Amino acid sequence: MSRAATIGRSAAIRPTRRIWRLSKRATLHLILIAGSLLMLTPFIWALSTSLKAAKDVFDPHGGVIPNPISFDAFHSVFTEIAFPLYFLNSVTVTVLIVGFNVIFDTAAAYAFAKLNFPGRDVIFGVLLVTLMIPSQVNLIPLYRIMVALHDMIPWLGVNTLSGIVLPSMVQVFGIFLLRQFFATIPDEVIEAGRLDGAGEWRILWRIVLPIAAPAIATLMIFVFLNAWNDFLWPLLVSNSDANRTLPVGLTLLSRKNTVNWPETMAGSVVTILPMIVIFLILQRRFIEGIAAGSVK
Amino acid sequence: MKIMKKHGVAAVAAAMLTATAVTVSGCSSGGSGVASDEDQTIVVWDYYGSASPITAAVPEFEKTHKNITVQVEALDWDSMLDKFPVAVSSGAAPDLVTADMTWLPTFASGGLLSDLTPVSKDMINGKAFSDVYNAGALGAMKYNDTYVAAMYDFDAYCLYYRSDVLKAKGLTVPTTWDEFLQTVSSMAEDTDGDGTFDKYALQILPDSFHFAQLLAQNGGRFLNEDDTVAEFNSDAGVGALAYMQKLLDAGGIYWGPSEGDSTGMPGIKDERIGMFINGPYMMGVIKDGAPEQSGKWAVAPAPVGKQQGSYLGGTGLVIPTGAKHAAAAWEFAQFLLAPENQEAVFTAAGAAPATTAGLAMPALSEPDPYFGGEVPFKDFEAAMETATPFPYVAEWESIDSSITNALETALLGKASPKDALDAAAKSADSELAK
Amino acid sequence: MIAPAVIILGLLTFWPMALSFVWSFTKYTGLGDPQWVGFQNYLDLLGDPLFHQAALNTAFFAVTTMAVGPALGLATAILLNRKMRGRAFYRAAFFLPVTTALVAVAAVWKLLLNDGGIVNQALGLFGITGHQWLADPNTALPAIAIASIWQGFGFEMVVFLAALQGLPPDLLEAASIDGAGPFRRFWHVVLPYLRPTFVFVYVIGLIGAFQVFDQVYVMTQGGPINSTLTVVYYLINRFRALDLGQASAIAYLLVAVLAGLSYLQVRLARKWS
Repeated sequence: MSRAATIGRSAAIRPTRRIWRLSKRATLHLILIAGSLLMLTPFIWALSTSLKAAKDVFDPHGGVIPNPISFDAFHSVFTEIAFPLYFLNSVTVTVLIVGFNVIFDTAAAYAFAKLNFPGRDVIFGVLLVTLMIPSQVNLIPLYRIMVALHDMIPWLGVNTLSGIVLPSMVQVFGIFLLRQFFATIPDEVIEAGRLDGAGEWRILWRIVLPIAAPAIATLMIFVFLNAWNDFLWPLLVSNSDANRTLPVGLTLLSRKNTVNWPETMAGSVVTILPMIVIFLILQRRFIEGIAAGSVK
Repeated sequence: MKIMKKHGVAAVAAAMLTATAVTVSGCSSGGSGVASDEDQTIVVWDYYGSASPITAAVPEFEKTHKNITVQVEALDWDSMLDKFPVAVSSGAAPDLVTADMTWLPTFASGGLLSDLTPVSKDMINGKAFSDVYNAGALGAMKYNDTYVAAMYDFDAYCLYYRSDVLKAKGLTVPTTWDEFLQTVSSMAEDTDGDGTFDKYALQILPDSFHFAQLLAQNGGRFLNEDDTVAEFNSDAGVGALAYMQKLLDAGGIYWGPSEGDSTGMPGIKDERIGMFINGPYMMGVIKDGAPEQSGKWAVAPAPVGKQQGSYLGGTGLVIPTGAKHAAAAWEFAQFLLAPENQEAVFTAAGAAPATTAGLAMPALSEPDPYFGGEVPFKDFEAAMETATPFPYVAEWESIDSSITNALETALLGKASPKDALDAAAKSADSELAK
Repeated sequence: MIAPAVIILGLLTFWPMALSFVWSFTKYTGLGDPQWVGFQNYLDLLGDPLFHQAALNTAFFAVTTMAVGPALGLATAILLNRKMRGRAFYRAAFFLPVTTALVAVAAVWKLLLNDGGIVNQALGLFGITGHQWLADPNTALPAIAIASIWQGFGFEMVVFLAALQGLPPDLLEAASIDGAGPFRRFWHVVLPYLRPTFVFVYVIGLIGAFQVFDQVYVMTQGGPINSTLTVVYYLINRFRALDLGQASAIAYLLVAVLAGLSYLQVRLARKWS
């Protein structure tokens, strides 16, 4: 930004400086291109391997472009394992989790930021401590709750998709993130709403949410990434194909008795790809969203 | 949305309260839940994967047992290990489960396995356990004198080798430790001269299974008679590990856990591995994974040290504590253990059936073209005769991992075999003292 | 308004936590009744060499990833913080790994680091002999750390990039007029301006780094020779050995450390500002 201003001011740049500037640009691009390539290599290699025959995987002269190209691995991924079903499950679970978090986290964060009620700071402090507890320690108690729930209501709890969704419906991190953002909204805006006789839910819906849209986008991205990529809990709580998500299916695939790299990579590609597509489509929202949530 | 409406919260609250009280009250009544002739669905957790003899047996079983529906959930070995204790201790036990025999001590001492005697009366399809299995298997099925598993497939070790390479190099099949060392050294090649063997090498797995084999052959054992003190660091133990080290130096390829699979399949396919010592299940694995090497492999009894010996393991069928349909589950287990279905352990999964009648089935005594027209099973059957399971102590899980550490430490040259095993023995002793 | 969130959290987060906290003072296999043992689990852990190693490994992982990750993130953010061609592409390339499932990328890294994998092939071009990165206790943990940095620093880049774009231009201009070179401008203007961003990145990052688990689970299972055994992986190992008491105690020891660290961070941030 300031650089642009400098360029504008010194209109007459001498040729040497111009060359200097150009070569600086070139170096910059060179570094960035090399960096990007390094970053993308694992993806490229995974894709390349997934299209190779198993015997060619470690061929030192194999190169990036498989020869011959073989779709066997993808074929077996789709026939041996219910990947379309896992995909659908992943979508369902993720959409539900994101939806619930938007509702519950937003409401709670608003209350913590803008309402006065007894014990507010204490409750919030306790919430923060839970962030530090490794979620793995809750696996067994949580599993038992899901078992008991399933015994009472057969379509809830263990071995149902709800078993994956329920424990992630509200996330402390989300409340924390949004509260920080809501705190920056001037109290007068909310007071004005109250004077108009609006209830708190109405204020949240009509006044706060439109202002907080970028922060909520951040929340959605975080929750989305976690929900889509989570695997240990879904592995434990789902016992049958009907309730498995993509990462669980992938784990099962890669752990079959022998390692078949093309198959494992095909599984990885299938798991990663939807995320990449979504990211590329929503790229600007993703990045702006994270920025909005972290800077405020 | 629908999840939290109305009674959602109340239900979760109630669930939470009952969850604290989950003590699997079905514990003692495990077997007597539902009679085997009532209409019911049994849930089976099976780690065999895609080529499962268990899934294959279901249609036939359901035909003869109209009231029982079998629901098989396909898992893998690791996922089973993670899921089984959580589910069973939370009162969500399946009815019948495939369990690795090495898991039995931990699971049984944790109370996760039910005693098979009440539901079976120690009989399988009308025959006493002792007539169905040989003595080694019977010993492995018991924990503290109660039967907790019915052995389904067994694992005892033989030598697999590339017979074509052996022949081409003018070598003979080794029968003693000394000969083995010679053969390994002549077989393995270092084609790129980087100091590690990368062609036809002997796969060296730094795990307690392979150590067990050498330990037993060298006249040693893991623990003392009463299972109270570690003995694997005796002279016999140190000698066994030193021999493992010699094999590695002479022509071995180190195959650690980070290779991602203990079978060594990638190495077998690209011919880095030309010999390995493993159980009968590998027959199925290499046939399936390396069909192009058909006719090039052969199986022989593992070379013998001071005496014969092998690790004895395999898969047991267990009925978890709290299984709601234990009686029906046992019906299915018996069906799976009938000789004609035991044959499927071999035909579907390529593994070795554990019952003596199963081993006598025709499919297992036919010459196998993959193994040059030989009958490999006779060698594995012989190996089972002198094989012994791991010590059945509750702390085995921890002891096993300290032994594995000692093996890795010594084989990677970080400590001498003696120091490594002494350190492991020390931590094993403190575990056992608890 | 906090009722729904608090009720759900109470049931599905606090209650399990309270249970496991109580268990951490008991001997409990999961069946039967827990036996009260007081602080025995904690004392056992503090004297357990394996736990010491897990703690050291975790600390090593946290320090390396948190030293390199944010630095790389900031460096790329500075490079990208200008009008240039291909900016969106570069940004996407650096951020892409963040969006992907750890289980999936860990499998990919296992392939890359394999004996005959591309990493060794690439090193071979420079005449460096290959290495079994994940099989050698000296390199396994660093390899996992590198994979984790690769996966994570795009996030830090985006956060820094956003912060840099909020940097008022006149701040820098004032510094240039004072005759400050690029280095001094960075040190005296940019870094202080980014302080809250650093706090954000480190509070979030350290908690994640100390809880490292997925990568280990998929790539090395804690081996070789426990060189990648981390605290949370050890916790899962204790679960597998049906020692719920000790598994729980591990979690609360970790909480104590993290709470201490977070407190320190906030104190430091206050002191500096």
